[in-house]
Amino acid sequence: MRNKSSRFAIPYVVWMALFVVAPILLMVVYAFTSAEGGFTLESFASMGLYLDVFTRSFKLALIATAICLLIGYPMAYLMAREGRRFQRLAMALIMLPMWMNFLLRTYAWMSILENNGLLNQLFRAVGLLRLLGVDHLELIRTQGAVVLGMVYNYLPFMILPIYSVIVKLDASLLEAARDLGASSLGVFRKVIFPLSLPGVLSGVTMVFVPSVSTFAISRLLGGGKQMMLGDLIEQQFLGGAYDPNLGAAIALVMMVIVVVCMAVMTHFGEGEEQAVVL
Amino acid sequence: MSKKELIRLSDCVVKFDDEIILDHLNLYINDKEFLTLLGPSGCGKTTTLRIIGGFLTPNSGDVFFDGGRINDVPPHKRQVNTVFQKYALFPHLNVFENVAFGLRIAKVSGDEVRRRVTEMLELVNLKGFEKRPISSLSGGQQQRVAIARALVNRPKVLLLDEPLGALDMRLRKDMQSELKRIQQEMGITFVYVTHDQEEALAMSDTVVVMDGGRIQQIGTPEDIYNEPKNAFVADFIGESNILDGVMRADGVVEIFNRRFQCLDGGFAPDEPVDVVIRPEDVDIVSEDQGQLKGTVTQVTFKGVHYDTIVDFYGFKWLIQTTDYCPVDSRIGIKIDPDGIHVMKKSAYSGMFGDYSSYSEEYDEIGDAGVEPGGEDSGDEE
Amino acid sequence: MKGKRKGAGRLLMALVFLFLYAPILLLIVFSFNSGNSSVVWRGFSLDWYVKLFQDRLIMESVYTTLLVSILATIISTVAGTFAAIGLFGLKRRWRSPLMTVSNIPTVNADIVTGVSMCLLFAAIFQSWGVFARWFNGVQSVVELPTRLTLGFTTLLLSHIAFDIPYVILNVSPKLRQMDKNLIDAAQDLGCTWFQAFWKVILPEIKPGVVSGALIAFTMSVDDFVISYFTAGSATSTLAMTIYGMTKKRVSPEINAVSTLLFVTVLVLLILSNVLEARQEKLARRREDALKSGAEHRPAPRPRPAPPAVTRKAWFRRAVALVSAGALCVVIAALAAATNAQPVVNVCSWGEYIDEELITQFEEETGIRVNYQTAESNETLYSLLKSGGGDYDVIVPSDYMISQLIEEDMLAPLDYSKIPNFALIDDQFKNLPYDPDNLYTVPYAWGTLGIIYNASMVDEDITSWSAMFDDKYAGQVMLINNSRDALGIALMYLGYSVNTTDEQELQEAYDLLRDASDRGVYQGKVMDEVFQVMEGGNAAIATYYAGDYLTMLENNEDLRFVIPEEGSNWFVDAMCLLKGARHPEEAHAWINFMASTDACLANLDYIWYGTANREAIEAYPAYYEELYGEELDQETFDIIQTPPEVLERCEMYLVLPKETRDLYKRLWISLGV
Repeated sequence: MRNKSSRFAIPYVVWMALFVVAPILLMVVYAFTSAEGGFTLESFASMGLYLDVFTRSFKLALIATAICLLIGYPMAYLMAREGRRFQRLAMALIMLPMWMNFLLRTYAWMSILENNGLLNQLFRAVGLLRLLGVDHLELIRTQGAVVLGMVYNYLPFMILPIYSVIVKLDASLLEAARDLGASSLGVFRKVIFPLSLPGVLSGVTMVFVPSVSTFAISRLLGGGKQMMLGDLIEQQFLGGAYDPNLGAAIALVMMVIVVVCMAVMTHFGEGEEQAVVL
Repeated sequence: MSKKELIRLSDCVVKFDDEIILDHLNLYINDKEFLTLLGPSGCGKTTTLRIIGGFLTPNSGDVFFDGGRINDVPPHKRQVNTVFQKYALFPHLNVFENVAFGLRIAKVSGDEVRRRVTEMLELVNLKGFEKRPISSLSGGQQQRVAIARALVNRPKVLLLDEPLGALDMRLRKDMQSELKRIQQEMGITFVYVTHDQEEALAMSDTVVVMDGGRIQQIGTPEDIYNEPKNAFVADFIGESNILDGVMRADGVVEIFNRRFQCLDGGFAPDEPVDVVIRPEDVDIVSEDQGQLKGTVTQVTFKGVHYDTIVDFYGFKWLIQTTDYCPVDSRIGIKIDPDGIHVMKKSAYSGMFGDYSSYSEEYDEIGDAGVEPGGEDSGDEE
Repeated sequence: MKGKRKGAGRLLMALVFLFLYAPILLLIVFSFNSGNSSVVWRGFSLDWYVKLFQDRLIMESVYTTLLVSILATIISTVAGTFAAIGLFGLKRRWRSPLMTVSNIPTVNADIVTGVSMCLLFAAIFQSWGVFARWFNGVQSVVELPTRLTLGFTTLLLSHIAFDIPYVILNVSPKLRQMDKNLIDAAQDLGCTWFQAFWKVILPEIKPGVVSGALIAFTMSVDDFVISYFTAGSATSTLAMTIYGMTKKRVSPEINAVSTLLFVTVLVLLILSNVLEARQEKLARRREDALKSGAEHRPAPRPRPAPPAVTRKAWFRRAVALVSAGALCVVIAALAAATNAQPVVNVCSWGEYIDEELITQFEEETGIRVNYQTAESNETLYSLLKSGGGDYDVIVPSDYMISQLIEEDMLAPLDYSKIPNFALIDDQFKNLPYDPDNLYTVPYAWGTLGIIYNASMVDEDITSWSAMFDDKYAGQVMLINNSRDALGIALMYLGYSVNTTDEQELQEAYDLLRDASDRGVYQGKVMDEVFQVMEGGNAAIATYYAGDYLTMLENNEDLRFVIPEEGSNWFVDAMCLLKGARHPEEAHAWINFMASTDACLANLDYIWYGTANREAIEAYPAYYEELYGEELDQETFDIIQTPPEVLERCEMYLVLPKETRDLYKRLWISLGV
């Protein structure tokens, strides 16, 4: 069977060469050439200008990832301990917003966070604003709003992989740990947590990567003031500043940094198995 | 062997939804005893084990340990450890750390941990495997790690849930004697769950035969084999021909309208009974000397002996004999009084013990346990 | 104590779900609002649902989204399943690296995937262009199109490319779990490989295939970034439409779309959950029957329970339904694709046309209008450069027109086919961007000015200085494009908006930088300004005159001023792209839009000035007839800036490349 079915790999290999490998190679080529076509390192040289954007992107993405982990892990853990019916319902509830496009979800927050938005109106109604002596709280167009948008959009990506690892943990392992004298906390610390690390790892990846590269969230909730790597890249391709060479270079640098981060993390996590899929 | 009682289950009932898993179970276990819970799957043996381990609280009834009631004591506070069915070794820890797990939880000092883990690994013959990851071990080695891990905490009782089920035949035989050795060396109580009667007979001090959530018989292996209490036990332990008989007087039982001498007594006059005759207790003689006469319908060579199926008046018997009798030959049989065992009628009467549907696979009762003879048995009720 | 802890856990979960769902519920609630605010409740109505079904842009993008998601799901599920089987059949040595490559799109940031795909398509189109020109040169039997553009095909290809890895990731584990001997057994029993596939492999890996398909669909529907870079702007998914809209004022139609999507998915989920629960129950009951039968009495083996039959039938029916649905969609797609009706592809700005004009044009001429919008001149330029714009007619602004002409991207118009050009006021002919008037017909024009909220600002603003004043710190919205933003600073400093002097530009930059550092600006906005100003979320902003009137309709406190230092005035004009596929239809469209009737209707809708002499003269009367009240002079002056004000205004000219690069550099430094 093995030999016979392996022929189906050939078209896919061709496909990958064209649609996975070639685009990335092309990006590399663009990054190292000028608009006129000659080899140059100018795109990289000018990157110092954007150091702030890099640090801001990584900072905000890290914060968002940490918050997602802090909320997502307990959530996944609690879900996994509930009955089957509840679990199925909870899974469905977490997946459901993903079928509404993420821009809709981001947009929903805009009207809540505006200076005259729902939250500020609520604060005004209860007299909080008068107490603080301000007209409104600065909610939208701040870094906090960007982080909130990331957490809101990508939280399910943290919960689902962790949950799917925890729920698949062999119940007898937990019994064995209890049997050997571990209290509930001990079982969690010594068995559940180390065994759920692969899920945490893939959750962190699935939140961090889109967060660090987002441009829609920073545009809509950051008010264009919190420029992130994604915005910078988007500007070079479809935005105000057409310069695909620079855009490719930035994208390349970002990709390399992310890959290095992930490799380091996977190394620390000892990479039990392959990345977990939803 | 001291006869101090260590564990007592008193009137335990376990229900799942409306299904009764354990039906008013009463059982006591002595200190330093090797006790086996034996029965087909679904008989309640694992449930009993889990009650002792503390993973399950009975719906009603009490559990006592060393005289104290322990219904509400969580597993990690019981002086009981378990070897799980598929070992449940922690995949993220190596051999040493798996064994050390319980000690680490108890915050035992590092030197002490090293000493005790090494000692345990020596006990189970796994010296030198300390650094190996679990996934690199064979089934038998994983088994030993599981045992070492459970014993390192020095429990008073070790619970073993079909620990040898996943091993192959030879390994299983080796592990049986190994387990027995470990139990004697440690001098603690083993409660062992299995559906393999041979295993149970070979290792145990006491065998508890269970079915349908009830204990069918408790006794030494010899008792269980030689004096089964009912047709279920007789059939589940070894091979048996089980016939309908009538007790005519103490020491006299009538089968097929013929009277046989036996050693049993204490029945009401003319009480219908089940009669068990083990295949190896039947002697084949020439037709005219036989107490019963029949026709050989099938012969299978088994090495030590022949399995011979003989038709007596429409009822097929299994006889194990070293004499070869060709198919279709007429033979007679003789049964000594001590070869006949008389039991009271029970719910299991008529369900087992006829070899009409005999096949090569008869000795693999295994999990099914309920299949043999089921379909073609005569309907007496 | 245990119960308490469980309670706390439940509370936490409830809070997380509240966090996840509260914004969505708000979206839903305000889809029934009768006003167009998403903050203030003005009573229940279903208006937005009615409007939604009439809005072609949204409906088409919903259709595109569903079509591309379904097609991509089907194709990538089939291809991914076979690819997984193929990879599985390889030796480990080969499989591992190939799997790593295959997983690249799942771990890469979407934007990297999108951008690299965009580059790939651009490269392919370029080589194709070279080949097609050569091919058309050596033979004359077949005429190959020389210009390919991003569109539905590239969108679909990209979706398939990022969906396949997810299918493989879901199918592979099932293959690994499968007993390797199954296929041998099947073939041993006389199956061909394909029969073995159908009868043995597929049933074994079905759960993986199904979940793979589900995830592929989820990813496709949820995707925005990759679509954004590969669809061009001629094809627009719902996400892209929304993104385009969030840059302007989002119409509550989007709330309605969200609600419908949400409810649909919810119903599907509930249905599948109920079905699954029922199946599980049946399975359990069957198991129980088997168990109890076996345990207590040796009853004859239970007959296969009748519910099992129903279950199978259910499944079959579901499969049949889904495949039938998919087939319908494919047929509809094919029908749409092979539609031979004449078409014109138009690209303009968002909410820059009275859509009834499109319908009117289609009815009159039988030409279908494929109406698209771009965000800004720069975006349009980028789109054209990266092969994203499959347009015939575009409506860029003055300075961009010059640049396009300079780069030979426009085709000269045949004015004999545009008789309505005669109606254009001479004032709007032969303007600097098109000195000989060979390429353009003006569409609309306007001025840049300051919009401020009189309830938040005490004085009458008259100068650009308000844009740099600490008094309004945190209340000012800066315009989010380099030309206008730096232009404002230049005008305030008294320099020309078309200066090429590096010193002057640096000064303008410093001014902005300083104000920005002092915290004057709350944010940078383009069309988001509608939402911000109408909601009273900022006091001062810079924007265009026509848009001010639109905002005024929703917030009466707003005022507009063209500062005393002067300002910019601009013309957006219709042009024909070089290599356009429908030049005839394009000319018809341009002529139609230049007609007096069209200009009147449009003027009334978008509030921008028109270049059509008759239309501007007729407008006051038109307004009175339509609304039963007189058009006040102030409003009219804003629409049609009077000459004395216009004198203070300067038009943007195209800048030399070095200056454009300087703008870009300065603008980005301002952003970081």
